Amino acid sequence: MIERTPVLNALTHVILVTGLLLLLFPVWIAFVAATHDMTAVNTAPVELWPGDQFLVNLEQAWAISDMGTKFTNTVIVAVGVVVGKIAVACITAFSLVFFNYRGRMLVFWLVFITLMLPLEVRIVPTYAVAANALSPFQAMLDATGLTALIATLSGVQVNLEWNLLNSYTGLILPLVATATGTFLYRQFFLTIPDELVEAAKMDGAGPIRFLIDVLIPLSRTNIAALATIMFVYAWNQYLWPLLIITDRANYGMVAVELGTLVPDQFTTGGGTPTWHLAMAGTLIVMVPPIVVVVLMQRWFVRGLINTDK
Amino acid sequence: MRRAYFKANWIAALLVAPQLLIIFVFFYWPASQALYWSLTLEQPWGGGNTWVGFENFRTLLSDAYYWNSVRVSFVFAIASTALAMSMALVLALFADRQLRGYKFFRVGMIWPYAIAAPAVGLAFRFVFNPHAGILSYINEVLPGFWDPTVNGTQAVIMVVVAGAWKSIAYNFIFFLAALQSIPRSLIEASAMDGAGPMRRMRDLQLPLIAPTFFFILVINITDSFTDSFGIVDVLTGGGPARATDLLVYKIYADGFRGFDYSGAAAQSVILMVLVMALTFVQFRYIERRVHYT
Amino acid sequence: MTMKLACSVAALAIAAAGSVGAQDRVKFEYWYGLTGDLGAVVLETCNRFNASQDKYEAVCIGQDGYDQAVQNTIAAFRANQHPTLLQSFDAGTADLMLSGEFYPVHKLMADTGIEVDWDDYFPGIANYYSASTGEFFSMPWNSSTPVYYFNKDHFAAAGITEAPLTWEGMEAAFYALRDSGQACALAYAPSTWIDLEQFSMVHNVPVASNDNGYAGLDTELLFNTTQHVQHMENIQRWIGEGVAQIRTAQSGMTARDSFVSGECSIFFSSIADHNTVHKLAPSFAWDVQIIPVYEGFARHNTVVGGASLWVLSGKTDAEYEAAANYLAFLATKPEQQFLLENTGYIPVTKSTYDALLAEGFYAREPFINRDIAMKSLTYTEPTNLTRGIRLGSFIQIRAEWVNEVQAALAGQKTMQEALDTAVARGNDLLDRFERTYAGKTFP
Repeated sequence: MIERTPVLNALTHVILVTGLLLLLFPVWIAFVAATHDMTAVNTAPVELWPGDQFLVNLEQAWAISDMGTKFTNTVIVAVGVVVGKIAVACITAFSLVFFNYRGRMLVFWLVFITLMLPLEVRIVPTYAVAANALSPFQAMLDATGLTALIATLSGVQVNLEWNLLNSYTGLILPLVATATGTFLYRQFFLTIPDELVEAAKMDGAGPIRFLIDVLIPLSRTNIAALATIMFVYAWNQYLWPLLIITDRANYGMVAVELGTLVPDQFTTGGGTPTWHLAMAGTLIVMVPPIVVVVLMQRWFVRGLINTDK
Repeated sequence: MRRAYFKANWIAALLVAPQLLIIFVFFYWPASQALYWSLTLEQPWGGGNTWVGFENFRTLLSDAYYWNSVRVSFVFAIASTALAMSMALVLALFADRQLRGYKFFRVGMIWPYAIAAPAVGLAFRFVFNPHAGILSYINEVLPGFWDPTVNGTQAVIMVVVAGAWKSIAYNFIFFLAALQSIPRSLIEASAMDGAGPMRRMRDLQLPLIAPTFFFILVINITDSFTDSFGIVDVLTGGGPARATDLLVYKIYADGFRGFDYSGAAAQSVILMVLVMALTFVQFRYIERRVHYT
Repeated sequence: MTMKLACSVAALAIAAAGSVGAQDRVKFEYWYGLTGDLGAVVLETCNRFNASQDKYEAVCIGQDGYDQAVQNTIAAFRANQHPTLLQSFDAGTADLMLSGEFYPVHKLMADTGIEVDWDDYFPGIANYYSASTGEFFSMPWNSSTPVYYFNKDHFAAAGITEAPLTWEGMEAAFYALRDSGQACALAYAPSTWIDLEQFSMVHNVPVASNDNGYAGLDTELLFNTTQHVQHMENIQRWIGEGVAQIRTAQSGMTARDSFVSGECSIFFSSIADHNTVHKLAPSFAWDVQIIPVYEGFARHNTVVGGASLWVLSGKTDAEYEAAANYLAFLATKPEQQFLLENTGYIPVTKSTYDALLAEGFYAREPFINRDIAMKSLTYTEPTNLTRGIRLGSFIQIRAEWVNEVQAALAGQKTMQEALDTAVARGNDLLDRFERTYAGKTFP
């Protein structure tokens, strides 16, 4: 660092270590639960130290949940979602911040409002769209009488259909829209000084050139942060894949597979509380996101260009 | 704010088109159908519906328990946001000092965000368990003091802590990214002027990350209103005696679990209006104090 | 068992791949809600079915919970992508019945020419899943009924020789246990299924008018006027005096956990937990008993819990034929026995039960005394009040009950006030439900 501050350094360590212990304690509990057998996990008081069943549990969780093929699928989907989200967020925010047109605010709010209605609430009509992604357009053509018009004029009955069930497209596309990402990029782009834009225009660079040559390199840490968060988000997707993927052998995702490991908890009971296996499964599923977090560290580098005036 | 713009608006339109198209198809079209149900009594299996006008809204707004949900949701949103943001900010500021081993800390801090939902619930049950959990030690000193299954206030505290726990990791990573984009030259210049590390945090770093701070504030408030049913479902099930019956949990319980699509739709409309109003207030009154460039 | 299952799944998959080209088979989808080891058992029945013949193929897809299974099926149904078979729980069926979008299994079996002896089903199960005319709507499969579990060592130490069959005897047992130094006699978790629904069945008192909703949609709840109120007041008193303690999943330890760890002496649950308690291997002797009645009431039958299998409309004849064969397969004695051996569920037909008895099945560990559930289910012939419960918005009504009972237990109101409020709010829900299905009646 810049100067020697032993007291502050000590304080820094104390705060970080305390914070880390508090944050990781529940993760520790999950790990401990994965190292005991069923009886130990379900008795009080809670075990705080690992037992000797870790490998046994991992093996069993792996065997009964059929995670293997699901990892590849989930990586494909998560990478697709991350790339899509970052691209979409970046260009939307770029348009909102560096152009001056009427309706900018409207676009921003239209995107932002999508945060406010969770999938659980609109699951029935959203499934219908996944079964035929072109159904909104078909409905609009029907409603405006265009279908009938085209049918009369050309004799062709317009019947738009695009089924997204059991496909990577169905898993990725609906998740690509991102209010969070767009908002984050907007916040970042707003801090770019006007001088940079003026300079770029002076050099005769168009907007796309400016985006690629100036903004994207500047937003590296933001991309890293967003990519980390979005990868984890996509990795843990549960309800949407559960609903639209019935071909689990080919398109299954890990979070859904993990769900099948979680013991049954309904009123009539009878499920075996195999929490040790559920926790072992959780740890297995957690590995790739952690790897991504570690890899993304490289991108967290101190900014080099002074963006301040 | 900004004075320099690019002129080619057709490019601007092209750039927003993909996102708008996706949200139209996968959000607005289906959501509008769901919202239409708020004015009807909809049969779940699609056998038809009866138009009832604003009856669903009148029923909700005249229900004292519903207003209790509104109150609890505000308490939860404010408390969990305050907790999650302050913890994350302090941790990020100190992690940003880049002492030895800081990389390890960063990975550790982000870890909670990567853990899947079932494990979170189980872990917190162990922590908060009044009979055998970590907090059961309080009960050894003060018998019967800690019991979130009966005491509503304690149940709220439990949900707030668990909700904040997950957001801390999320907030931390964005705070850290913002802090890391402050150029080294600025910090060095400030140090040269004799500003110590604590003063630099206050006078230099905090104002410079204000845009990110605002982003996290808005997202945290919004998420705590619209994305918190998982935590409630696992930890309290809305109880005891509706003490943790958040608006979004009620929507989930009535609509998703109880097949009352119309009631859930009406509740969704109210929740959306509420969160939009809150977001608007934040943009109107708080964003004014954020200096971007 | 799980390892065994995994191995046999793999073996069967190989066998299936080797025998017949899969494309020749008629496929049908089955969406089920059970998860964990119970979900693995469902999947295994499908594998067994697919290996047992080469004409049909069951494609079984777990939906992680009864409520999600029904919810996802509705979403798929409205887009015409639904499965042929759905495993649905009791609370999900009122909407399904009124929608009419199902193929009654009675008719399905007749249409596909599969003979079923419907009279062979236990009446406590048959009445629950059939029309007033006695025709089955859905196929019973994973079935259970409530009992209570007790710690025999604790009972012996407290000088209790017989597991009580009345609530008065139960109360005496609580105090005997306390006097013997047992801090927690009853691990209590509020449960509408046990405290309200099954309690009302054994006492032959109504939960709601119209024969608990069977006779029409203009139903009103009545449980704030019956013995149920007295019972809940008693539970509140026992908790106040410390002989009963609240143990829910939300408190970190379920009632079952508290029982298995030896902390509490008694807990109420489904007979399906018999298997689970065995697996958790408590370090003491334990047994089960049918749920008590209050003195002055003639004991009646309990009813079935669990889920049943519904056939949905809008599928092809070939798929229906395949599904019908799967259902018939599940009802065979070996398949019922497979379910019984791997879970805590009970047989659904008299012939299977009798055969198992004759073979000494229930004289072997871990099944000893598990058939006490049959005694409970068949204690009397079902009356109009003990056939079951058929209410709309049932999930919300159950939630109202739980919330109000919690409010009373937290001392916010008296139990009578709490139950009055639950009934008033439940009646509003029933009224809404009736208007949602204006002009329709249960088949």
